[in-house]
Amino acid sequence: MARRITRDASLAEDIVQETLLHAWRAFDQFERGTNARAWLFRILFNVFYGRGRKLRAGPILVTLNDKGVETSKSAQILFSLIDAAALTQAFDQLSEEHRTVLLLGVVEGFTCREMAEILSVPIGTVMSRISRARQALRERLEPAALTPGIVRPGARCAEREAS
Amino acid sequence: MNCADIARLAPLYITGELEPARAAEFDAHLKTCPACMLELERQSRLDSRLREEILAEETNVFWVDRRVRELISVEAEGQSLPELSRNHRRWQAALLAIAAAAILAIGGYRALHTHVARVYADAAQDHRTEIVEGQPRRWLTDPAQIAALAAKQGIDSTSLVSLESGPYRLVRGKICFIDHRVFLHLVYSDGSQNFSVFLHQRYASPLPGNVREISNGKPLCASNLDHEHVASFETERLIVLVVTDQSFDAALHFAHFASAVL
Repeated sequence: MARRITRDASLAEDIVQETLLHAWRAFDQFERGTNARAWLFRILFNVFYGRGRKLRAGPILVTLNDKGVETSKSAQILFSLIDAAALTQAFDQLSEEHRTVLLLGVVEGFTCREMAEILSVPIGTVMSRISRARQALRERLEPAALTPGIVRPGARCAEREAS
Repeated sequence: MNCADIARLAPLYITGELEPARAAEFDAHLKTCPACMLELERQSRLDSRLREEILAEETNVFWVDRRVRELISVEAEGQSLPELSRNHRRWQAALLAIAAAAILAIGGYRALHTHVARVYADAAQDHRTEIVEGQPRRWLTDPAQIAALAAKQGIDSTSLVSLESGPYRLVRGKICFIDHRVFLHLVYSDGSQNFSVFLHQRYASPLPGNVREISNGKPLCASNLDHEHVASFETERLIVLVVTDQSFDAALHFAHFASAVL
C-alpha cells in the first residue's frame, strides 16, 4: 500500500516504520472495539501527508482534465485482456489522490465512510474522488487497449448521456 | 433515479453502503438502462483486475519489521523504572497494536509466532494466504514454465517430477520470500488435499528446530502452528519445507513420501 502510494520503496519503508512507531506511542488513543485497520491507515496517511508537507519537493502530479475524461467514456475496453504491466503502469501514473482512494477502496476493501474517516475528508469527497479515479485509470488504459486491438478505434457505445 | 444519480451513487452501491430503499431504486434503474449496467460492469471488471494485480505483488517487509521491533525495544529501555511500570499496561497493549499492524502488513504468523523459526512461520503464512485464503498471486500452471522457473533457482526439474510419482500432482508454482530468501513455492494436490512444498538450494547453516525423526535417512523437523503444520528436511542439495492446513499427520505423511523420492 505505502509503496504504491509513494512509488518509492525506501520512502514507503520509512513511512510504515514511522506509522508503527506512532501506533505504539499513541495506543492509548485507540478506542477498543473500533476498527484497528482504519486507525492504522489513518496514522499512515497522517505520516505520509506530514512528510509531504515537510519535503515539499516532490513532483506535482497533474490530474486529467474534463476533456480527457470525456474521451475515455467512449471506449469499449475489455479490461480483462489488458496485461498486468500496462495496468500497473497506468495506475502508477495516476495522481496521488486517485491512487490513494483506489488502494483503500478497491484493493483494501474499505467502505466510503471508512475512507472518509481515514483521509479526514467528507464522504461526498470520497465518492467523487473514487469515481474520478476510476475514470482516470480507464483513460490511461485506453492506449494500451487500442494497441492490440482490444478497443476498436473510434468505437462508441451507448453512453449514459444518450440514454 | 436517473443516470446522473447512478453515476454519483455508484461508489456507495459498490461498497454496499446504500440504504435498502435507495439500493432497490438503483437496481430498478439498472434493469431498464443498459448504458448504466454496462458502465457498472466495466467498473467492476477493472476493479477486479486492479485488485488482483496489486495483491499479486510480493512484498518483503522483513527489515521494516525488525527495525520497528528494535526501535520499540530501545525506546522502552530508555524509560525509567517507574515510568516503565506505569506504562506496563500500555506496553502490553502496544504489543497488541504492533501485532495487529504486523498482521496488516505482513500476516499473522510472522508476528504472533515469534517462538517458531522464521523460515517455518513464513512458509505457514504463505500457505495460509495463498492457498487456504486463495489471495490472487501470479501462479504458473504450465509444467514447462514451472520447470524453467525452478531452473532459475538452481533446482533441477527432476525434483519437481519426483514428487508427482505418488498420488500428488503439481498444480502450480511461483517464487516467494521465505526468511528473507527466494524459495520456489510449489503446490501439489491429490484432488482433495493441497500441499505447499517450498524448495531452496541447501545453504550453509542447517534448518532450525528439533529433529523429530529420521525419515529415509534424513532428519525430519516438524512445527505445529495454529492452523498450519510444517515438516522439513534437507537432502544433499535441497531444503524442503512441506506445509498443509489439513493435519499434522498429513504433513508428516507427505514429508515421508518426499524424503523417499528426493
